[in-house]
Amino acid sequence: MKAKKGPEPRRVGLDSDLTDALVGSRRFFTRAEVSGDRRAVYRIGGRQADTFYRDRWSHDKVVRSTHGVNCTGSCSWKVYVKDGIITWESQQTDYPSVGPDSPEYEPRGCPRGAAFSWYTYSPTRVRYPYVRGVLLEMYREARARLGDPVLAWADVVGDPERSRRYKAARGKGGLVRATWDEAAEMIAAAHVHTIKAYGPDRLAGFSPIPAMSMVSHAAGARFYSLLGGVMLSFYDWYADLPVASPQVFGDQTDVPESGDWWDAGYLIMWGSNLPVTRTPDAHWMAEARYRGQKVIAVAPDYADNVKFADEWLPAQPGTDGALAMAMGHVILKEFFVDRQVGYFTDYVKRYTDLPFLVTLDRRGQGPDAVFVPGKFLTAADLGGSSARAENAAFKTVLLDAATDAPVVPGGSLGHRYGEAGAGIWNLDLGGVDPLLTVAGERATSAEVRLTRFDTTDGSAAELSRGVPVRQIAGHTVTTVFDLLLAQYGVAREGLPGVWPGGYDDPEQPYTPAWQAAITGVAGEQAARIAREFAANAEESKGRSMIIMGAGTNHWFHSDTIYRAFLTLTTLTGCQGVNGGGWAHYVGQEKVRPITGYSALATAADWNRPARQMIQTAYWYLHTDQFRYDPFSADTLAAAGAGGTFAGRTTADVIAASARMGWMPSYPTFDRNPLHLVKDAEAAGRPVEAYVVDELKAGRMRFAGEDPDAPQNFPRVLTIWRANLLGSSAKGNEYFLKHLLGADSAVRAAEAPPGARPRDLVWHEDAPTGKLDLLLTLDFRMTSTTIYSDIVLPAATWYEKHDLNTTDMHPFVNSFNPAIAPPWHTRTDWDAFNTIATAFSRLAAEHLGTVTDLVAAPLLHDTPDAMATPHGRVTDWKTGQCEPVPGRTMPKLITVERDYAAVADKMTALGPLLDTLGATTKGVTFDVTRELDYLRHKNGTVHGGAADGRPSIARDVQACEAILALSGTTNGHLATQGFQTLEARTGMPLADLAAEHQGRRVTFADTQQGPVPVITSPEWSGSESGGRRYSPFTINVERLKPWHTLTGRQHFFLDHDWMAELGEGLPVYRPPLNMHALFGEPEVGDQGELGITVRYLTPHNKWSIHSEYQDNLFMLSLSRGGPTIWMSKEDAAKIGVHDNDWIEAVNRNGVVVARAVVSHRMPEGTVYMHHAQDRLIDVPRTETNGRRGGIHNSLTRLLVKPSHLIGGYAQLSYAFNYLGPTGNQRDEVTVIRRRNQEVTY
Amino acid sequence: MNPHAATPADTGALDSLLWVVLPYLALVAFVAGHAWRYRYDKFGWTTRSSQLYENRLLRIGSPLFHFGILFVVLGHIGGLVIPKSWTETVGVSEHTYHLAAVTLGTVAGVATLAGLAILIYRRRTVGAVFHATTRNDKLMYAVLALTLALGLAATVDSNIVGGGYDYRTTISPWFRSVFSFDPDPALMSGAPPLFRLHALSALLLFGIWPFTRLVHMLTAPVGYLTRPYIVYRSRDPQLSARAPRRGWERT
Repeated sequence: MKAKKGPEPRRVGLDSDLTDALVGSRRFFTRAEVSGDRRAVYRIGGRQADTFYRDRWSHDKVVRSTHGVNCTGSCSWKVYVKDGIITWESQQTDYPSVGPDSPEYEPRGCPRGAAFSWYTYSPTRVRYPYVRGVLLEMYREARARLGDPVLAWADVVGDPERSRRYKAARGKGGLVRATWDEAAEMIAAAHVHTIKAYGPDRLAGFSPIPAMSMVSHAAGARFYSLLGGVMLSFYDWYADLPVASPQVFGDQTDVPESGDWWDAGYLIMWGSNLPVTRTPDAHWMAEARYRGQKVIAVAPDYADNVKFADEWLPAQPGTDGALAMAMGHVILKEFFVDRQVGYFTDYVKRYTDLPFLVTLDRRGQGPDAVFVPGKFLTAADLGGSSARAENAAFKTVLLDAATDAPVVPGGSLGHRYGEAGAGIWNLDLGGVDPLLTVAGERATSAEVRLTRFDTTDGSAAELSRGVPVRQIAGHTVTTVFDLLLAQYGVAREGLPGVWPGGYDDPEQPYTPAWQAAITGVAGEQAARIAREFAANAEESKGRSMIIMGAGTNHWFHSDTIYRAFLTLTTLTGCQGVNGGGWAHYVGQEKVRPITGYSALATAADWNRPARQMIQTAYWYLHTDQFRYDPFSADTLAAAGAGGTFAGRTTADVIAASARMGWMPSYPTFDRNPLHLVKDAEAAGRPVEAYVVDELKAGRMRFAGEDPDAPQNFPRVLTIWRANLLGSSAKGNEYFLKHLLGADSAVRAAEAPPGARPRDLVWHEDAPTGKLDLLLTLDFRMTSTTIYSDIVLPAATWYEKHDLNTTDMHPFVNSFNPAIAPPWHTRTDWDAFNTIATAFSRLAAEHLGTVTDLVAAPLLHDTPDAMATPHGRVTDWKTGQCEPVPGRTMPKLITVERDYAAVADKMTALGPLLDTLGATTKGVTFDVTRELDYLRHKNGTVHGGAADGRPSIARDVQACEAILALSGTTNGHLATQGFQTLEARTGMPLADLAAEHQGRRVTFADTQQGPVPVITSPEWSGSESGGRRYSPFTINVERLKPWHTLTGRQHFFLDHDWMAELGEGLPVYRPPLNMHALFGEPEVGDQGELGITVRYLTPHNKWSIHSEYQDNLFMLSLSRGGPTIWMSKEDAAKIGVHDNDWIEAVNRNGVVVARAVVSHRMPEGTVYMHHAQDRLIDVPRTETNGRRGGIHNSLTRLLVKPSHLIGGYAQLSYAFNYLGPTGNQRDEVTVIRRRNQEVTY
Repeated sequence: MNPHAATPADTGALDSLLWVVLPYLALVAFVAGHAWRYRYDKFGWTTRSSQLYENRLLRIGSPLFHFGILFVVLGHIGGLVIPKSWTETVGVSEHTYHLAAVTLGTVAGVATLAGLAILIYRRRTVGAVFHATTRNDKLMYAVLALTLALGLAATVDSNIVGGGYDYRTTISPWFRSVFSFDPDPALMSGAPPLFRLHALSALLLFGIWPFTRLVHMLTAPVGYLTRPYIVYRSRDPQLSARAPRRGWERT
């Protein structure tokens, strides 16, 4: 380091002579040594100056944690703590290796995650329990007067005047601090009173996406399940649930991990903006291009992912289905008709319903009679011995090429249950070679009527196209493949009907030229991409992948869009292949240790079943949005359909689905379910018979048929890990008005007489303020907490123990507390145990032990799925059949509830696990060995209702229980489950988990680092031998059937309602026409109120899941405050410049925001990014003078009838498996420039 | 004893307050304030430069002001610190001194004030700069502008409009008397009002000085002019950068 002393010739001077002179003079004024060239000075010491800097970046400890609630990143983080204060976080790097031939999962973590620690000490942190002041005063007064919390609560909410006072104050501030004791007592009193007065199914809990903090989710879910309260679904409610997944696969969102993108040769990002919404995984997509992968982006705007793509297909919003249908047309034409590809043909014969026979029904009489697709031909239709076999109506039939005779192959639903099916529920065709088409010497042809919806207003019209037919057992039949060709308009020689003249025929669906007029994507480009997609799949044996996102999934008709996508991946043999198939990444919810989590969350260890509700229908009814629907469900029906929906509104359809047992319906009856058993006893009847009699006689009704009657209101709603009113509440203003009784901006008119529900009671005056208690647990103030009556302070993700998994990553992460919950905050586990303790104390006096009657829907993956042969709908209400619980109406199950013991049961694993085991997707696990392990690991409870049971008093113990009770984290259970499946399928499976049979993942393991999971029958893919997870690889490689009617992937759905909607086959349906349905102006209309545009709410680059819009760092990085993105064309039309204040108004509400004018946006469409909270810079509106709304103030719920189908094969209900979606993308709004002087 | 000292009876209580108490208060605030600021607000010791937000106006206004004020300061040193007798000893007549002082002083004063006007105009009209302006800044600007304006006005008024005022017989001795801890308020009682107001506003300015961004004057990075480009600092003899804690010293 030391420079040589002494004079040294200076070779090069400094910058100038002046500098030389100045700098050169220093050596005369310092004792430090200056180098010969004058450039350097050598000092000793004096480094204290950077002590502050070292101090700034020093820390006392590093704790591993991750982010909930629903971040799909699954990133492990180092959380740094200094002096007991969380200082910052940084990315962990120790992920399990992907293996030698691929990039690794690390690096992971995005700026949003890195900004999370801001919340710990942020000004919006909820530090203490808060209660609405006016409510607290009244409660305290009543409590002092009456001496009992329950009576006090009943006194306040029972008085219309006092009740109105605190409800009207919601959203207007006035929250005051309370203690945990007092708040818990009030909450308990509200619960006890509601159970006593109305029944436990008037209580509801909402918390989304358990996968990314399952113990926190299970805490409240377990509490509500023990009470008999209702847990609301989230996946369908968020419109993230792809209904096409159950329809096609009989499985929900089983998708590849992100590491499998690397294996794809051709990748289409369709409505999924990977760098923004899947930031830590986007690197796979970028890397795979260097391996030769071709990447396509389909997006209406120039989204962030587009720049990574080789080609961009800018399809108009909501028209993706048209593009996919045209691509399907090309693939069917070029790879199935013009030329047969062995790989494709073999695949669809074995793994899809294409070879299965479908009857054609004659519609009309005489010479005008036409054919329409009917039902799958089943063994029951064949006559003879096969018709007499068990479950014959659920055994579908195909033709064997060798014998040309009908064959009933194994693997269909009829083989899944019953004695005879044991060992043959598999896809092994033996020597049978299925015929894809019935065309041939013995075939004739018939013209079939199919429905098209590509009219300008989206209404139905007919197509007439011929298919080859055969007569089998007296039925006119064809194959699904033949129908599919007809539907896609792929002509074959000699068939009647109207067919496209070629790819360039713009009139006939579904040609490339036809789609060009709809999507704006050039026909040649669409055809070429389709050809490349299929050619890549042909050469690589199925390694073509479509990553599909919310941009295509949040539409009313997204199920049709998705089915058109899945047709592409299934025809080309990409499903069940690594690097291929669908990759749906929208609100993923894969709880990998699902069995253990489910047992805990539904309290299945103490009582079964839990009440789980489809949230969309719940709010559609209880926020009275049904009152504002002026159109009939028939509007959506196919051309020439049977009129099932004629004269019925959406609410009628929901009521029908509920009473037929298809979908759950809570509150169920217009009576307290705790009284029914007693009433039946009093009447001297068995409870089932009593209920059936009362319903038939009309003395008792379903609550869903009179949602506005006070006894049917939801009375208590608890929200945790969620921001319902700032994020997911479609129809936000209707929530504020009817559910909460707060100020709202609803401007819509109610349905006029004649357009009102037929089967529902109509109250002239819609109720407001239905809810008695809105309780929220959160760590930050949100749009939900400001409307809540009680707010409890929650721990953040750096302050508790929990588990985290996603479907994009094959490992389990842990949450760990870097600091103890600060101020008065508590973990969700502790909070709900606190509430349970207070509840049990009050319940001992007021409730005791009672018998509850739970009405449960017909469940998927159980024999309930055989309740509706052929999907022929019979409604007992109209006299088409008798009400039979468990067959034509919900199952009626009595459950004993010892309310005083709820607290004891919360914290211990109950005895039902010993006797009934734990079941996931039809596989029951014997967990006695695991319970014994947990007794030793967690210790047992002494005394009380749970004496001797394994303890789960602490969150870590709950984590251990989840891990021990699930196959993915317990090799013994995985192997056991596969052995159970082997017995049913007759196929070797147990070897998939055998390599890990002795392995058990403990919580301590997850604290060391992310832990890879074990292949388990809980999921359909295999990780054995370290391969990347891809769904359905077990189905494809081990011939295990899909959980569908045929046991194969379905192109055709033969349920009555699917036919009624014209959606038996993949079809294009445009976005809903809000002009026709609600009288909104048409898109592009411009008047004095502004311009009408399509209103979309995609995800925000600066706030997703782990981190919200209010985060100061992200507000600083982005523009901050509410914004709406619009095109420069639209902006010019209404004189808006970038950053101007604008107002967006439609019948649902009003939004004020700043305009972001960007050439990224397509004309006619605006984006208001999701979840921009009311709390950040939202001014008053010009429209009504009140504070502007959130993104969902302009949306509302619209329910699609096909999502309500149940009780039939894969179209059966399971929680978050199937249900109506809370879609919101079909909406339009009028936007104008507003006065630039805003006030708050 | 100051030869110009008035009798105690001439010195009113107000004069004592203004020219004895106030100067020492300002002095104490100035010295102790800087010490306090250095001790407790090291990271706040900054000009809070707004160059990032705007530099077109700044490029003109800032040098104009800063070079102007440098000459103003030099002029004050010449006028206040150096006794009249010294300059006369070296042969500078009152007239010569006066001519030089008024000429240079007016030019420097006008330059300073013009620079300040540009800076204040910029601060008010450029949105980003105005957003970065605190109440403290506003006060500082007001006092600074007032002091400068009064100073210039006093000079102009007494020398150009009036017949000239020899402050070196009254104000300067008073100024030096404050620092010799023998303050003589009577010296100030006869000074023209504008000079007195200028002195008072200056006292106020020095009083608030340490609590404003003006602290940067004391830490003007003059050393950078002569600093070699690379500064190596070898470790202190001790092991770590921090002083060893008690009980953990090296043995």
